[in-house]
Amino acid sequence: MRIEVSRSGGFAGIGRRAALDTAGRADGARLEELAREVAAQAPRSGAHGVPDGFHYEITIDGRTVECADPHLTPAQRELVQAVLGEGA
Amino acid sequence: MGVFCTIVPPHVLDRLARAQDPDLSTAARRTLEHDARERTRRRLTTVLGPTVSAQGTASDTPQRTVDDAKHHDTLPGRKVRGEGDKPSKDVTVNRAYDGLGATFETYLKAYGRHSIDGAGLPLIASVHYLQGYNNAFWNGEQMVFGDGDGRIFLDFTIPVDVIGHELTHGVTQYTANLDYFGQSGALNESVSDVFGSLIKQYTLGQSTEQADWLIGAGLLAPGVNGHALRSMKEPGTAYDDPQLGKDPQPGTMAGYVSTSQDNGGVHVNSGIPNHAFYLLATALGGNAWEQAGQIWYDTLTGGSLATGAQFADFAAATAAAAKARYGEGEQLAAVLHAWGQVGVQVPAGGSAAPTGVPRQQPGQPQQA
Repeated sequence: MRIEVSRSGGFAGIGRRAALDTAGRADGARLEELAREVAAQAPRSGAHGVPDGFHYEITIDGRTVECADPHLTPAQRELVQAVLGEGA
Repeated sequence: MGVFCTIVPPHVLDRLARAQDPDLSTAARRTLEHDARERTRRRLTTVLGPTVSAQGTASDTPQRTVDDAKHHDTLPGRKVRGEGDKPSKDVTVNRAYDGLGATFETYLKAYGRHSIDGAGLPLIASVHYLQGYNNAFWNGEQMVFGDGDGRIFLDFTIPVDVIGHELTHGVTQYTANLDYFGQSGALNESVSDVFGSLIKQYTLGQSTEQADWLIGAGLLAPGVNGHALRSMKEPGTAYDDPQLGKDPQPGTMAGYVSTSQDNGGVHVNSGIPNHAFYLLATALGGNAWEQAGQIWYDTLTGGSLATGAQFADFAAATAAAAKARYGEGEQLAAVLHAWGQVGVQVPAGGSAAPTGVPRQQPGQPQQA
């Protein structure tokens, strides 16, 4: 499973993008579980953030889910942090 | 709305929300917010205007609370310092407390404004949000600070202009309520940079010549090639680093960036009105928070700006504000010249923006 996270916005306005493939990773099963959970979540009110908040696009096998701080679900938060790493 | 909502751009959703929900009551706001766990707050804020706080004579002293999120994302976290409490052992807590105070003081002394809403709104800041979080933001009700990851960014409470920037998002929310997208969003960002810098200048007692005109000086980690995140004096020169890339800000309309990222480049194109303010302030000289800052403050709070104001609308409103406060003197000429230098043409007469009843008088909450 390929998971890509793109982040924009933030006080600095500096974008970040990172991707990983779960195949062969020690944490692959956990990441796939998170990705399935994220893909299954249906945000009712879109991906509206707040001034200077980060905006995220999470793409799982070609399909994209959007979310924005400070309203990430625990699964979205963990997945974003795992893929993006840095300060997310 | 389904999971895969990327085909609907955020600004379109905003417009839909505005069209559908013109008269949501406070009760409906509460219910919706409760149901959606904060998810709808920003959109509701945009649609409805801010929550009106309690009436009464606002105090000349702030009501500050600093909370510790303890590296989680639950807000506000645990209270660690209230107004008048002795300093904490945690320097981050104390910096946030002092920054809230500096912001309150500047708005009060320079512009006669009582807190964010003009009516003494308590100031709340949560520190230590998440782990190594590279950001700070205003969530519509309070400030939130990350610690930075120590590799690219340090603690976001370090620069007082960052604290002033975030709280000014609150002031904008309670006044012009500029849409956070495209040019109006870049104006929203720029206003936060302008007053963030003015709060730093006022606090340090710096004249226009002494000010560094930087946003986020001291925030970049050692080893990062840059001196800040934005430069109002020379947009595009704040950093140039392998990890961060190069500061993308233009200083004039010739460099205006069209993008779908970052709400339409709100942190990029803010360089243009930022530079216009710098040019005005340096042309007038002295302390920037006095005449130049007053003109910008009058523009933000005067009630003539539409929420979707574009650069030219804002420029016209600053010209009208300069004329209203200082007459047809050097201030008005300097305003027109500054906008001309960044390539924003002010419509003839300098008062294209509609005039009307001021959105907010000092000490009175805005009519929603």
